[in-house]
Amino acid sequence: MGLGNNKIDTFDFRKALSKSNLKGIWWLLSDYKLAYIGATLSLAFSATAKTFTFLLLKFFADDVLTNGEYIFGTLKSTLILIGSGFFVLAVIEGSFSYVSGRLAAYTSENIARRLRDFLFDHIQRLSFAYHGNTSTGELIERVTSDLDAFRRFIGEQSIGMGRIILMFTINFVALISLNVKLGLVSVIVIPFVLLVSLWFFKKIKVAYEKYQEQEAILSTTLQENLTGVRVVKAFARQDYEIGKFEKTNWEKFLRGKKYISLHSLFWPLSDIVLGFQLLGGFVYASNLAINAEITTGTYLAYVGLVVWLIWPIRNLGRLIVQTSTGLVSYGRVLEIVKQEREPLLAGKIQPDGPLVGEVSFESIFFQYEDGVQVLKDINFTVKPGQIIALLGSTGSGKTSLVNLLPRFYDYSSGSLKVDGQELKDYPRKYMRSQIGIVEQEPFLFSRSIRENITYGAHAGVTETEIIEAAKAAAVHDVILSFPDGYDTVVGEKGVTLSGGQKQRVAVARTLLKNPKILILDDSTSSVDTETEAEIRKALNSLMKDRTTFVIAHRIQSVMIADLILVMDKGEIIQKGTHEELLAIEGTYRKIYDIQTRIDDELKSEIANAL
Amino acid sequence: MPEIEIEEEDYESQLTAPVLKRILGMIKPHWKMALGFMVSIALTSMVDSYFTFLNKEIVDKGILLSDFDQVLRIAKIYGVFIIVQSGMVFGFIYLAGILGERVQYDLRKLLFNHLQKLSLSFYSQTAVGRMMARVTSDTGRVSELVTWGILDVTWGTVSIVTSTIFMAIINWRLALIVFAIIPLMILTAVQFRKRILVEFRGSRKANSKITGSYNENIQGVRIVKALNREKENLKEFQGLTDRMFKTSYKAAWLSALFLPAVQIVSSIALGIIVGYGGLQISTGFITIGGIQAFVSYLTFMLWPIQDLARVYAEMQHSIASAERIFTMADTEPEVKNRTTAIPAKTLMGKIQFDHVDFYYEDRISVLSDFNLKVEPGETIALVGPTGGGKSTIVNLLCRFYEPQEGSIKINGLDYTDYTLESIHSKIGIVLQTPHLFSGSIRENIRYGKLSSTDEEVENASKIAGADNFIQEMSKGYDEEVGEGGNLLSVGQKQLISLARAVLAEPELFIMDEATSSVDTLTEALIQKGMENLMKGRTSFVIAHRLSTIRNADRILVIEEGKISEIGTHAELLRLKGHYYKLYTQQFRHELEVQYGVEEDPRLTGSAVSS
Repeated sequence: MGLGNNKIDTFDFRKALSKSNLKGIWWLLSDYKLAYIGATLSLAFSATAKTFTFLLLKFFADDVLTNGEYIFGTLKSTLILIGSGFFVLAVIEGSFSYVSGRLAAYTSENIARRLRDFLFDHIQRLSFAYHGNTSTGELIERVTSDLDAFRRFIGEQSIGMGRIILMFTINFVALISLNVKLGLVSVIVIPFVLLVSLWFFKKIKVAYEKYQEQEAILSTTLQENLTGVRVVKAFARQDYEIGKFEKTNWEKFLRGKKYISLHSLFWPLSDIVLGFQLLGGFVYASNLAINAEITTGTYLAYVGLVVWLIWPIRNLGRLIVQTSTGLVSYGRVLEIVKQEREPLLAGKIQPDGPLVGEVSFESIFFQYEDGVQVLKDINFTVKPGQIIALLGSTGSGKTSLVNLLPRFYDYSSGSLKVDGQELKDYPRKYMRSQIGIVEQEPFLFSRSIRENITYGAHAGVTETEIIEAAKAAAVHDVILSFPDGYDTVVGEKGVTLSGGQKQRVAVARTLLKNPKILILDDSTSSVDTETEAEIRKALNSLMKDRTTFVIAHRIQSVMIADLILVMDKGEIIQKGTHEELLAIEGTYRKIYDIQTRIDDELKSEIANAL
Repeated sequence: MPEIEIEEEDYESQLTAPVLKRILGMIKPHWKMALGFMVSIALTSMVDSYFTFLNKEIVDKGILLSDFDQVLRIAKIYGVFIIVQSGMVFGFIYLAGILGERVQYDLRKLLFNHLQKLSLSFYSQTAVGRMMARVTSDTGRVSELVTWGILDVTWGTVSIVTSTIFMAIINWRLALIVFAIIPLMILTAVQFRKRILVEFRGSRKANSKITGSYNENIQGVRIVKALNREKENLKEFQGLTDRMFKTSYKAAWLSALFLPAVQIVSSIALGIIVGYGGLQISTGFITIGGIQAFVSYLTFMLWPIQDLARVYAEMQHSIASAERIFTMADTEPEVKNRTTAIPAKTLMGKIQFDHVDFYYEDRISVLSDFNLKVEPGETIALVGPTGGGKSTIVNLLCRFYEPQEGSIKINGLDYTDYTLESIHSKIGIVLQTPHLFSGSIRENIRYGKLSSTDEEVENASKIAGADNFIQEMSKGYDEEVGEGGNLLSVGQKQLISLARAVLAEPELFIMDEATSSVDTLTEALIQKGMENLMKGRTSFVIAHRLSTIRNADRILVIEEGKISEIGTHAELLRLKGHYYKLYTQQFRHELEVQYGVEEDPRLTGSAVSS
């Protein structure tokens, strides 16, 4: 049972979609079906061995002791044989029970691992449109808790149900073979107990869910109190908070009490019913024995067997109720599996070299799936190495425009050509390998700074390359000032990077990638004056020899651009160089004027103060 | 956060007398319930052993002697005990269950109430997740120990003891064989349990890493896609799921091996007893019923041994939980009332920082020899870079912390001579990131003065400028704000927290202005609300807005724990120093926002962490 057979590349979970729930689950067991069947068979063998222990007891009592005829010559040798018989049966029962448990765990853990791997890969390959509409918490809930519930369904609940049913069947057959009437008398209350236990466990499940809900409320109350400690203290509201918590705390106690009460009713009630069923069987059987309809040995075997027939039935109800939870979870996991992945490698052309960096937009329109028009009739051309600045307010379409280039989204109509080829013909993976993105507040992973810089870089990247990139990004000195230098883990032990520092780490990361096209969200507003110059330096070194798209926020950063696009409501309302746009009446000049006016106002303000 | 919790769970502790005493102290108030469930479970277990004995009697005295009347006589006793036992089962489930809930309730209450007293220094050193774990999971684990733990131990011990007593009564020589084997069974069981627990925790740890990895990959999906990291991420993730598989698979198969192993040990005894006993039946040394009883006793002994082993293996972790709970409950608040403290009549008086030195827990000096005198009714604006000490001044003023050296005087008296409540009840505070509690808007505003009428609440929000937007909500003042107020915008939350402060009618008003984006209209409302609030009150504002700064009576530029510049707006501009630089930068920035040039009104280096 090695770990090698983890074929998630060839195993497509989406095939489970077209099938009904149980068929789909059976299909998911592929490669492990034999193990699973083995687990079930072992269960049967184990239960049979247990049953034979009691039949051996019958043999022991009847044939050996009462008749006085020994099969194996003497009493002594027969008893030694029976004694070792008990031991051997215990070994068989135990071994099969172990094998069953091990195979069940092997199956369920492997299925769970394969599903985890698949889901992880699946999620990172789902489109932006999907990620934009799904909350992280919800997704994580499904791939962790729901997946675990499904794992328990396969490895514990189904197997547990199988164990009870097999045990019942085998022991019932054994009982019937001992004496038909006795066998039937012993199971009279079973259907009734099963029904009642189903009813009870449904109620218990509801009570438990209510209890859990209150637990969640209590956690929220607690968390709000703890995070709002300043407000609580500032208004001296400790007593009020204590009262509020007391209410939720007491409610949880009451709900717990209800849940416990249900349990405390169910178990003794079923104890009485099953106890009297057992006792009735004993009395009836002893009557049969006294009337010589059955032997003493049969009576002894009966007493041993019937216990294993009756008590487990109560748990069957519980397992059946739990199973429904497992199936609901399975459905929730499938919801994710259902989503379409974006193909990374598909494309009419498969370029082998880097891009040159020429980009042209020809009447590009783009709308989201919900029909909201985001970009309208976008036209412009960029030569390799040029800088294009996009200016406009939030929602004007700047980000959507640059999101088209790495094929995060696909345009609805029009033609977008890169190096003369239609963008949609390039594989996504290739485009993304040629484009570098530096966001305003870049996302860093909670690993070392070194790993963050080399994230996405080729495997053989050297230490010198890393340090050079960091130096060019003007972040080397900052990194060295941390206690663990390049090994400092982001977000740990109080080392939090400022917005500007994060941005420069992202610049280093992008430098290492060496893309032909660069997308830059140029905001220095979250950074103080000293670092602004450093960032500017870092960005300038980054833009060199690359086609650069700058999402700009201030006139200063667009002035150097070869082409400025002023955007509004998804349209380009003005385009040209700084000088060209200044020369004509329009939004750009208005913005520029405001900036100049601000400087004037400041001068007069200060003059007044002096 | 999950990382931390796992670390804590790994922590084991031995039971010491003082901890045991305190644990028992928790059930002392409910000793009747504790005694009740222990008696119930002990009786349940004794009756179980007695049932086996009665089964033997049916065989020996009824069947073997062909005396059906005897059988009926025994069956009557049997029936009575079934009913008695059901009562006992009800008793222990109910009592132990309710006691468990009750102990949890008590512990949560104890901790929550104590947390309300603890100072901000404790809060800043302890992650919210940890505090929550104390109040939720640790209390759960301890209550589990004192109820189900004790119950299992009682049941296990009584079962083993009464079984062996009955066996000794039936045949003490054969019972000696069982005595010999019991320690061996227990030893095997404990060894297994410990190893299972190790693997189980390993899998918990792997699981939390998997969750973390999912989380990061979903949050950073844009970077993952942009850098084509899918393959490598999957490889890394497979490393995690491999580890998860190994540990949980091992835990599962060890569990599957556990019972069979113990069972095989016991079957050795079983074989010997059947063989040896069978040989002696003819001598009257033992009866058939007696052998049957031995078989039953031995077979059922597995369960108590399993439970004892489980409790023993898990106990150390529950004790570690108990220790953590006690440590937290024993933490003394750093800021508390002096025994001689008197209530402050008013805060409207001269406030003086007199040679104040202050450092936080890391002992790095934040304020050194800080001096400041403020006249009643004055408005003080605090400006300066992050980490300069602005928040610290406010924290000290609110007496969230107290100075290590020097003193803060109100009306000439050291403020530690006043009671905390009397100071806090006269302070109004509005935080940069306003904290709201789940509930309606009305409830949140009323937090400022719990006894206020609806009219007062509405008046306060009119003064704060919050009334308009509240009226526009579909449910008005009864609109729910969501968890932590997340259904409202930052600006709306700030207006509500202003209204809350207005309602409190403070004498000292403290505000940490928001740096995050608020639309212009809301911004104007907040400004007006603030001005209304500051009228006739001594106010301290960590200021980010030009108008606030300009309107202040005095401006303090705080840098490196000292006042670097102090004076009015005009005076400071004339200095052409730090203030001049800060102000011009802010001026340009704010007007850019106002004119719609700049989008992101986040301010230069002033993200005050509070």
